[in-house]
Amino acid sequence: MRRIWFAMLFAALLPAVAHAQQASGKKRRPLPPEFGRVVLDKGLDKGPVAPVVFDHWLHRAKYTCRLCHVDIGFAMTPNGTNIKASDNAAGFFCGACHNGKTLAGGKKVFESCGGAGSADKGATCLRCHSLGKNVKPEHDFATFTRGLPRGRFGNGVDWEKAEEMGLIKPVDFLEGISIPRKSLTAQKDFALSPRLPGMPEITFSHAKHTVWNGCELCHPEIFSAVKKGQVKYTMSEIFDGKYCGVCHVNVAFPLQDCQRCHVKPVQ
Amino acid sequence: MHRPYVTIVAVVLAALAWLATSSTRPLGPSMALAEVPAPAKTSARDGWRKEFEEVCARTQDAMTLSTSELRSLVERCDILKPALEALGGSEGKVYVKRLLACRNLYAYVLESRQVQ
Repeated sequence: MRRIWFAMLFAALLPAVAHAQQASGKKRRPLPPEFGRVVLDKGLDKGPVAPVVFDHWLHRAKYTCRLCHVDIGFAMTPNGTNIKASDNAAGFFCGACHNGKTLAGGKKVFESCGGAGSADKGATCLRCHSLGKNVKPEHDFATFTRGLPRGRFGNGVDWEKAEEMGLIKPVDFLEGISIPRKSLTAQKDFALSPRLPGMPEITFSHAKHTVWNGCELCHPEIFSAVKKGQVKYTMSEIFDGKYCGVCHVNVAFPLQDCQRCHVKPVQ
Repeated sequence: MHRPYVTIVAVVLAALAWLATSSTRPLGPSMALAEVPAPAKTSARDGWRKEFEEVCARTQDAMTLSTSELRSLVERCDILKPALEALGGSEGKVYVKRLLACRNLYAYVLESRQVQ
């Protein structure tokens, strides 16, 4: 009798808990193919053209963060770049590669915001302007990531290990856009002490970050402190998308993977 | 009395003008008019682009540059910025942002040196 009573209570409370979660605005964790998804809807949410859905996983496997966010000039926040179709058509932003001429993997990259969309009755436009549309992507996530080392969270791929193993070779230079530079001399790794006693110390690796980012992507826009200890980073700010959270909330390995940063055990 | 002089001067001037515009008649050194060379077609685009690439090519070794080099790079960025803003459109938008990224990195490294 007691078991039946508890089962009935549980069944009665479950919808209430689910409703409360939804009402609180708590989002569900994104699925592996969805992690890193950015929706660009500035000026598009009410127009005839659907907002753009951009999934980072394909681009980050082929290009460094620095190439897009420094050389091509994309902002680090959704809608921050204020891209117009005319920008793309003129060969900037997405149009830097999506011009019908640039080769990627031996194939020409489709032209965005050019004449192609009008020629095929908008089918090309739908490849990007796909929010709410039933569009089958050209690259399947499961097929693409098969064989890449597994990660616990995010895309379910350990991108850092994939790069170390040579399974992905992100391109860092685009002819006509990038400036020829010397190879970067990475700064040393350093340790940060956590504010919470008992948490393992954080080891920050410049070497790992500069493979993808260079210097100017982080300094000073994301990290403006010029002296160690000048700024006290808090996990609530990081989870809110500041500092490390600029990347590690939505594209790089997520913050739930604590041991990736909190690596040094307390002595 | 003056009319013949005016006529002579007019004829001489006309002759000189004809000689100056004639491309087939060889001119003696005393008769040749100095030929003003056409201004070199300096491409404004090549100018700013070259400067931009020179200035922003040093971000990789910003930490190894001397204080004076960093100051010089920041100044060059500040001088170049109006030219990039004048480009307008997509090009101006992109290159001003890129220039500011380089400039701010150099300023950041400079400031960290001063603090230390």
